[in-house]
Amino acid sequence: MEEQEILTTLKILIIGESGVGKSSLLLRFTDDTFDPEQAATIGVDFKVKTLTVDGNKTKLAIWDTAGQERFRTLTPSYYRGAQGVILVYDVSSKQSFSKLDAWLNELETFSTKHDMIKMLVGNKIDRDSHEVTKEEGLKFARKHHMLFIEASAKTNDGVQCAFEELVEKVIQTPGLWETSGKNLRLGQNGNDGNAAQSCYCVI
Amino acid sequence: MSLSGEDMDNPPRRTSSKDSAIVDDEADVFEITDFTTASEWERFIARLEEILHEWKLVNHEPRPPAMKNQYANGTWAEKTEEVIFADFRFMFSYLYLTTTETSSQEISKSKREDQEEVDEEHKTPTVYLDIMNFDNDFPSRAHYLCRWYGLQEFFTLIPVSEKQVIDSESRAKLLLSSASVAFGNSNCSIPVFIQLQQKWRKLFTGTSLVRGGSIEFEMSHLKRLPPQYCHLAGLLDVFKSKLGCVYISMPTVSVAVRFTYKLQDWIESAWPQMPPDFSSFCDGEVGYGDIDFLPFGACTDPISELHLSCTWPCLSEDMIVENSMYSDLDPLQAPQWTVRLQMTEDPQCLLGVFLRDFLKLCERHESTDEVLKKVIGDGDAEKDKAASDISNALHKLTEPVPSLSSIPSISNVMSSASARIKFKPEDAPIPDSLLDKILYFLFPDAKIPRSSTDQKMNKNKQSSSTSTSSLSSPVSEHESDLGEVKANGEKMAELNAELAKQLKSAPVDSLTQRLGLALCKVNHSFGGLLGVAHLWQEFILEMRFRWENKHFLSDIEKGAPNMGSCLLHQKLQMLNCCIECKVKRESVGYGYGPDSVNIHDQSFDSSYDDRDSSARASKVASIVSSSDDDEEFFDADDDEVAKASAQGEKNSEGKTNKGAESGQTDMKGSTEPSEESQGRDSVVSADGQFQDSITHRPVGRLVPMKNVFLLATGEQLYIPVTQEPSPMTEDMLEEHAEVLAKLGTSAEGSQIRARMQSACLVSDMESFKAANPGCILEDFVRWYSPRDYVVDDDVEAEEEVEMEQEQQSAGSDTPATGERKGSVSSPAKRGRLSQRMQIPGNMWVEAWQSAKAVSARRQKRLFDDTKEAEKVLHYLASMKPAEVVLHLMPCVIHAAIIKLVEEAINTCVPNSKSMIDTLISRAAKVTRNFPLDKKKYAELLRLIELAETVTARTTSLRSKFTSDHLASPEQEGKEEEIESFVNNLLTQSEVAVKGGACGPAGAIIHKMFITAQKSNNMILDDEEQDGEGGAAPTPTPTILTLGEDRRNRRKNSNLSLPSPSSESKSTALSDFPAPCAREYILRAMVPRPAPYSKVLPQRMYCLLMESDNRIAGAFTSDTTFQ
Repeated sequence: MEEQEILTTLKILIIGESGVGKSSLLLRFTDDTFDPEQAATIGVDFKVKTLTVDGNKTKLAIWDTAGQERFRTLTPSYYRGAQGVILVYDVSSKQSFSKLDAWLNELETFSTKHDMIKMLVGNKIDRDSHEVTKEEGLKFARKHHMLFIEASAKTNDGVQCAFEELVEKVIQTPGLWETSGKNLRLGQNGNDGNAAQSCYCVI
Repeated sequence: MSLSGEDMDNPPRRTSSKDSAIVDDEADVFEITDFTTASEWERFIARLEEILHEWKLVNHEPRPPAMKNQYANGTWAEKTEEVIFADFRFMFSYLYLTTTETSSQEISKSKREDQEEVDEEHKTPTVYLDIMNFDNDFPSRAHYLCRWYGLQEFFTLIPVSEKQVIDSESRAKLLLSSASVAFGNSNCSIPVFIQLQQKWRKLFTGTSLVRGGSIEFEMSHLKRLPPQYCHLAGLLDVFKSKLGCVYISMPTVSVAVRFTYKLQDWIESAWPQMPPDFSSFCDGEVGYGDIDFLPFGACTDPISELHLSCTWPCLSEDMIVENSMYSDLDPLQAPQWTVRLQMTEDPQCLLGVFLRDFLKLCERHESTDEVLKKVIGDGDAEKDKAASDISNALHKLTEPVPSLSSIPSISNVMSSASARIKFKPEDAPIPDSLLDKILYFLFPDAKIPRSSTDQKMNKNKQSSSTSTSSLSSPVSEHESDLGEVKANGEKMAELNAELAKQLKSAPVDSLTQRLGLALCKVNHSFGGLLGVAHLWQEFILEMRFRWENKHFLSDIEKGAPNMGSCLLHQKLQMLNCCIECKVKRESVGYGYGPDSVNIHDQSFDSSYDDRDSSARASKVASIVSSSDDDEEFFDADDDEVAKASAQGEKNSEGKTNKGAESGQTDMKGSTEPSEESQGRDSVVSADGQFQDSITHRPVGRLVPMKNVFLLATGEQLYIPVTQEPSPMTEDMLEEHAEVLAKLGTSAEGSQIRARMQSACLVSDMESFKAANPGCILEDFVRWYSPRDYVVDDDVEAEEEVEMEQEQQSAGSDTPATGERKGSVSSPAKRGRLSQRMQIPGNMWVEAWQSAKAVSARRQKRLFDDTKEAEKVLHYLASMKPAEVVLHLMPCVIHAAIIKLVEEAINTCVPNSKSMIDTLISRAAKVTRNFPLDKKKYAELLRLIELAETVTARTTSLRSKFTSDHLASPEQEGKEEEIESFVNNLLTQSEVAVKGGACGPAGAIIHKMFITAQKSNNMILDDEEQDGEGGAAPTPTPTILTLGEDRRNRRKNSNLSLPSPSSESKSTALSDFPAPCAREYILRAMVPRPAPYSKVLPQRMYCLLMESDNRIAGAFTSDTTFQ
């Protein structure tokens, strides 16, 4: 696996209301750390991570965006060319959930790949006060043909899983990405024990 | 056959060990099997057997007979291996009809039931069934061997090299016997064919070994057949003599016949396409429409021939007579008619050629200047150029700077602009008058003289609306016609919307698209590359002129560049943004005109309800005056500031009071504290002092934020007027993203990234400060990022909050003093900044501290229109013609597809939906691809051309089958049938004519042949045709009498009609020409070789054409009872 050629570079986007934990999810995924004092993102931020899914090594260029309304005049321009998007809401904030429609709208308007894979993530499940139930999240995801998972960046629940599942789905979608080198390997499902956890549901 | 049976069982081993003796471990020590001396011949046989094993064709189960028409409609498969015989290389192929699992299983099952008693030995081999199968005679498409012998599976052995030819009898025999050995050993009864002579002759000899019998496949291929055999009677003689059983009573031979007639001349419906007159629009009177008119259709008739095949399937030899004197085979009497079309290979489709010519320019590498220099060139070119430059420069100086009040009409200026390229009149690739026309086409607004910006805008709108209406006019015309066409119009609109969404091009009738079409036309008709360079140069000049003189580009939508459009269009949009920005910047009253007063009025209306009117009036006046001041704020001096502060005080006083009142009445306690009323008085006074102390009055307010009040002062919080984000084209964005990505993923990288992007944040903070005197970061956050302001609902948090507040203000450099801190305490009890906003040194705090109270209008511009405009203009100017063409390709393709769809819908092309859908999805992919790839565009053009050809075919065929001369009372009510027949012709390779000669389609085809016959013979023989022509100068309206007439005459002529290849001249004219091909299949069950042999199937296929005659026989003989 170490010297394996990178199959492709994928552009992944993280969007959602401000303060739902987008940057924390990203940090948990890339650096496996959690900082309760994560500064509010200005504009867009960017991280890279290579991930091997089904034996295919992919490089992920993950763009983290600011959730503030005012930045939305700036950030959508970075939606271009993204193959996957993670739409985040905060399970302890009804308001962050109710804004999801607006975010999807924005995606529709600014994304260039209409068959991009969308994943809905309900973050902060470690909190006690849930305002949004899992069922509501499921329902929304089903309605909009998205992947869905509940996660917590703080306790590292479902974060890895979310990214892996999203990437796998992108790889399985023909025409969404272009290979940069060797052929794609299909169906090698052995190496990731945690990917096999049934913590996500495909809708 | 020197090889023993044991060897046969292990052919692979034998080949692999050909060079070394192998001691078989299991065998006796004394026995050595030696293959060292194996001959080429033996190795060849072994190899064939090996392949048969590999393909699992050893002891092959017989296949069920093919079902009706399965040869033509089923799928054929092929397996191929290379084999070597000495230095001869052969391709050994297995061709077979793939049977669907279910059907073959079913049949085999039913067979098993039938033949339960029948043992292995008596199963009929596939070959026998195939030879006698009547269901697949004359398949519409099939391998020629399949057609000639009726086989559903066979092998071919074909020399690989063109040079190596099996031309001697002995070689052929050797190969045939080798193959026989191999197939015999493998117990494989599938026929094998060996190609003889040159490939084009398609001459084969073959064999098949069946249990208890063998089949010889023989073939003769002759240029001319002796005349005595050129008819059915002669061929029957050949067949019978070949069977060699003259001494017993010959069973009746069954005969299948097919005659094919060729129709090449479409007399009554000559190809209707007129080549469009490209030169028309430069002659003056023709309108703009011609420039964006795309030619369409084929120059030559896309359908070259119609082949009518008349088939008599399965007749007994006794039933028909055809000999040199007489023929029963009248095409009109044939039970089956089928038609196939021969398409013209390259019908020279206009649209395709037009676009291909344009794309060809992509291969040129010259820059625009280089191209133009060639024309300007010639000695004094440099001087000319310099002169023009100087005059240009002077021109600029002397030209009055256009101001708002007097913008010269563009048409004046434009002619001077276009005069900038100095051509000698005779050298100019595009003549002046034409150039003007094209420029007016591109810039319809230039025609209208206007005196003010407002007017211009209106005119712009008008012109764009008129142009769109002119564009949609063809559709609307159709709509008025018929309901069906109306549906087409709707379909069209739907497709257009779909196209606009799918393709990355430019809106229909936008400047970009028109430019593409104009360049296309110029390339085609006026000087190719040179013309394109010329027009492009003019275009750039106009772009610069418009930028410098603040004229918007017409028909380019306003607003930030649309990433869904092509890059060139985005660039033009960008230029428009720059122009817009420049206009705003230079018009003094930007942003603070009557609009802003209205906003203030509104706020007064809502907030000063219970004030007396006089007070209110005075407030309004003060605000109005302050906004007036705003406009002149560029040269603000001390006076102003003093005045402003005075006003501000008055202002704020009223507001604070109001704020408190409304807080009591309106607020539901969610944001408004109950405690606030207590501290009101102190707030008011503190506020007043605060205002004074920073000599700052609110500027650049947009709207009040509902029910939100400054924490420190309790004043209404206003959303400020902010700078709009910089518009970006996709290439800029990419660059930007790349820079951001390059900073890496480290914490420092993130920091720098945030700093790079904080300009917008800082600008917003400054505007906010300007609009809300006395505000603090918390206020800003409440507007900007509400979720970062945590509202405490319990009072216990109070202390903590206070601490934080102190921390906050202590850490900040803002001129907040003791008073402020005091004032802050009371309202801030209700909430605090989120944790992340309180991180010391975080970017937000930092930015807040560095931000000064400056209104958006007076801030440093985030968007430098001058720089960006120059960048765009430079980008345009540095484009080579080839690049221009490539960048405009999406627009041109877009227009072409629209044209195509229009035509396809109007002509009702069968399957047009799927054709267009593929085209659109391909186009969407290609246009979205970046960088632009001319090869992909070339592919796309081929698709367009193909679709155009299909459309042209449809038009052609439909006109042929529906032209007026064919109309007759009989046809009435049969239009639908004819329509479906025509559609089938377009989609299938061979179509059966329903009802043969008597069906509606058949009648039309018959008439076509008659007409063609007449005209052909008139040319050949005038005298004879005089009488003939006089008899029927125009087709008689009723087909019945006509048919009768003809048939009678035909009877006579039949006596002399001959074996058609004898080409004897008939005195009377027949309806049909001599058939171009005649095919016969003769079949019989005859014992061979001896009368007491088994009765076995025999078959002979004959194809007679003018100079290509072929007889292919499959003769079976019994190997047991010889």
